[in-house]
Amino acid sequence: MSATALAPRHGAARWWSSYRHMLRFELASQRQWLPFMLIIQILLSAGMAVLYGFYLPAIPPQLAAFIVTGTPALALIPIGLMSLPNVIVNRRIAGNYDFVRSLPVPRGTEVAATATVFTLLAIPGMVIALALASWRYGITLHISPLIVPAVLLTSLMATSVGAALGHGISNPMLINLVGNLLTFAVLLFTPVVFPPAQYPAWLVHLHEGLPFYNMAVVLRDALSTGLVAHVGRSYAILLGWTAAGLGVSSWIVSRRG
Amino acid sequence: MLRWHLLSLRLWAPAAAAIELLAGVGMVFGIGLLIPHISTRAAVYGTTGSAVVTTLLLGLILGPQLVAEQKMNGTYEFVLTMPVPRSAAALAWYTVTLVIGLPAAAATLAAGMLRYGITLSPAPQLVVAVLLSVFTATMLGYAVANAVSQPMVTIILSELFIFLAFGYAPINFPPSQMPAWLVGINRGLPFLPMATTVRDGLTHRVVSDVAISYVVLCCWAVGSVLLALLALGRRR
Repeated sequence: MSATALAPRHGAARWWSSYRHMLRFELASQRQWLPFMLIIQILLSAGMAVLYGFYLPAIPPQLAAFIVTGTPALALIPIGLMSLPNVIVNRRIAGNYDFVRSLPVPRGTEVAATATVFTLLAIPGMVIALALASWRYGITLHISPLIVPAVLLTSLMATSVGAALGHGISNPMLINLVGNLLTFAVLLFTPVVFPPAQYPAWLVHLHEGLPFYNMAVVLRDALSTGLVAHVGRSYAILLGWTAAGLGVSSWIVSRRG
Repeated sequence: MLRWHLLSLRLWAPAAAAIELLAGVGMVFGIGLLIPHISTRAAVYGTTGSAVVTTLLLGLILGPQLVAEQKMNGTYEFVLTMPVPRSAAALAWYTVTLVIGLPAAAATLAAGMLRYGITLSPAPQLVVAVLLSVFTATMLGYAVANAVSQPMVTIILSELFIFLAFGYAPINFPPSQMPAWLVGINRGLPFLPMATTVRDGLTHRVVSDVAISYVVLCCWAVGSVLLALLALGRRR
């Protein structure tokens, strides 16, 4: 073994080195699926952006602006909440889940590396969906630098909660079910793509404490002007959910089998 | 095989029935949220379309995912070695999808009628339309699950099916709201004919091209059965 392959033993340097190794491990172990998942992700993201137009024959400009600025959240949510738990469950079925857990790296690096891969996987679909939607609905976007923290935080939130689900639930059918139910709930019952005014007040209040609506708020704020308010609160709530997701998945991963 | 399916699904059958109910009724109410001032025509399409999607869920999503799971945990080969004709196994699964799916579809229709104040008029051909639609969806799912060797691909395909049925086939909304070329493609695919035949059994003068829809559906049903038989009969 070369000297460079030996990880430093303590602190942030060890974490960083382990993270890089885990990232390489994740990329290598998923290489068979990555192109396929990337294509599916692009198709689904672009597809979701367009399909709302079929349900609504006449779309006023304000609503069109909401639909267009809601598409990045739609692209980021399923990859964290559906694809990621499925990958973890498949690892469990294939029998290499325990092997990954036995690797001599800090536990958090595994979750962090998976989150990185899935964020990178989600971004092309998100960009293409956004471009397609703004063309389809004739909306000009006002992109601010806040798009960077908004995308990173949203993606980290979705992947950390997805990792918590994947590590916490061992039954593959149940994982699929939870993923499908969450996606269904997001598509129809969450003010992600449509203005909160279209939803009953109690449902909007409920969503103000849940992650999906807040993901849409921070992304929409970075892509438009005057569509959303209370953005700081949404960032705070998302940070809370991210910390909870990371905490839960790190706790589950670090438990003794 | 019917007993075997029911026994192996005993944990899942109540959950699947509850999810079907939630999905169907949820979709009917959800469409009302997407379209704030919904017209009677849109409500009829939304209600009948949600019922159609509900009947497809089990055969098209849960079925392939069950087979994918069997392939992943190694019980697939065991099921294939059972001394029963393949057709009996397939028909048993079809019966399960009907028993679990139909009550949910009925509840979906009732929820839509209550929510939007619309009236539906079931006709005798509804029975044929529902039996044929559920059969086609179940056999399509069955064929894909058995023909595709990679379980991950099966799961992704089943998700893709339901996505296409929900967003890219005029099931929940009138075909006039979709580009003509996309409607044209849908006429040859199974989802629009399923919606057309079932809607014809529930409404008066809302849909056209009913006879051709039955023909297309029959072709898909036969094609799916043949594909499933081919996949199951192959030596491994």
